[in-house]
Amino acid sequence: MTYTILAFAASPRRHGNSETLLDWVLDAMQKDPLVQTEKIVLAQADIKPCRGCNSCEKTNICAIRDDLDLIYEKIIKADCIILAAPIYCMSICSQAKVLIDRAQLFRSRKYVLHLPVTPPERQGKRLGLFISTAGQKWDYVFDASIPVIKCFFHVIDIKNHDTKYLLINNVDEKGAILSHVDAKKQAEEMAETIISTLMSR
Amino acid sequence: MTMKITMMGISGSPHRHGNTEQLLDTFLAGASDAGADIEKVILSRLDFSSCHGCNACHKTGICVLSDDLTLLYSKILNSVDILVVASPIYSMNMTAELKGFIDRAQFIWSQKFIIKTKSFSDDYIQRHQAYFLSTAGMDSNTVFDAAFPTIQAIFNNLGFSYAGNVLANGLDTHGGIRGHPSALSDAYETGKKAVEKFSIL
Repeated sequence: MTYTILAFAASPRRHGNSETLLDWVLDAMQKDPLVQTEKIVLAQADIKPCRGCNSCEKTNICAIRDDLDLIYEKIIKADCIILAAPIYCMSICSQAKVLIDRAQLFRSRKYVLHLPVTPPERQGKRLGLFISTAGQKWDYVFDASIPVIKCFFHVIDIKNHDTKYLLINNVDEKGAILSHVDAKKQAEEMAETIISTLMSR
Repeated sequence: MTMKITMMGISGSPHRHGNTEQLLDTFLAGASDAGADIEKVILSRLDFSSCHGCNACHKTGICVLSDDLTLLYSKILNSVDILVVASPIYSMNMTAELKGFIDRAQFIWSQKFIIKTKSFSDDYIQRHQAYFLSTAGMDSNTVFDAAFPTIQAIFNNLGFSYAGNVLANGLDTHGGIRGHPSALSDAYETGKKAVEKFSIL
């Protein structure tokens, strides 16, 4: 069997620090022939913000027609979901929040309509990874993003103990991650941990 | 005769006339009754894109994007005495729209801390007061916590003192803002007092 990894690069800056960190993880994962990865660059995707219309609570589909029509299906099917986003103004960049707000569809499906998000045999098998970078060196710079990330993974049936974190602060200008002491090593170790965990399930 | 106090209320809710906008309207009504000039801005009706993360403003102090936020930030920096920012909580933080607006303030941060062409005096900061209004369906006491660091950061960045909050959680149980025991009267009083307090600064 193959393992599918669906990754979101949420940064508006192409090939910056968070996307580079993501690429290191994906490159390391791809060394295994059983792993298939897909990277979606949110800045290049057509994803509109949630309108707060709550119609998904009745219809079980989102009222907005855009690239998420297909991405929703990919989210359900993937074995591992990765979200990579930089911290802007003490939280994830707005492009990442657009995606997360639109995951309201899954919340409606799960808690209002009481329908499964993933089939029973897939529950407890999937993993999530949050990758983030921040220019500030404060160790608490990622804290306010964590509840949001937990919320996102929770509604797509990935529990807290199946969610992993790769967080690198004090990298601001483009390319700063390249001179970080061990970010690449952390990324490669994370890739290995995730793949071996998926294969053991 | 003293100068009129100007209050701007910004709603980050995509849902027109919903709980958050009603809370903001009531806050603005209190301020208006106390003699302020009020203006309401609905972010979802504006044409803007979020920060592109290009860091051009780190060199020029000017955002490369020119859209409805250009004028909005100019107003906030030049003619608003009291700023009110309102958002519902989606997935444990403010909406993507509000975060999209906040992320665009990077050019001001650059002017202050990188190219050092801008600074706010203590007196200026004391004479610019800001409030955060928020609503949440969930009845959790921690549901607003992840929003506070971003709100604190944007108010600091814009040279405003963080003067207070009006928060209404548990709206799913209360059947909306009108069923909440105190939120609307709290908003009216806080809006009124914000102006009265400002008059004696």
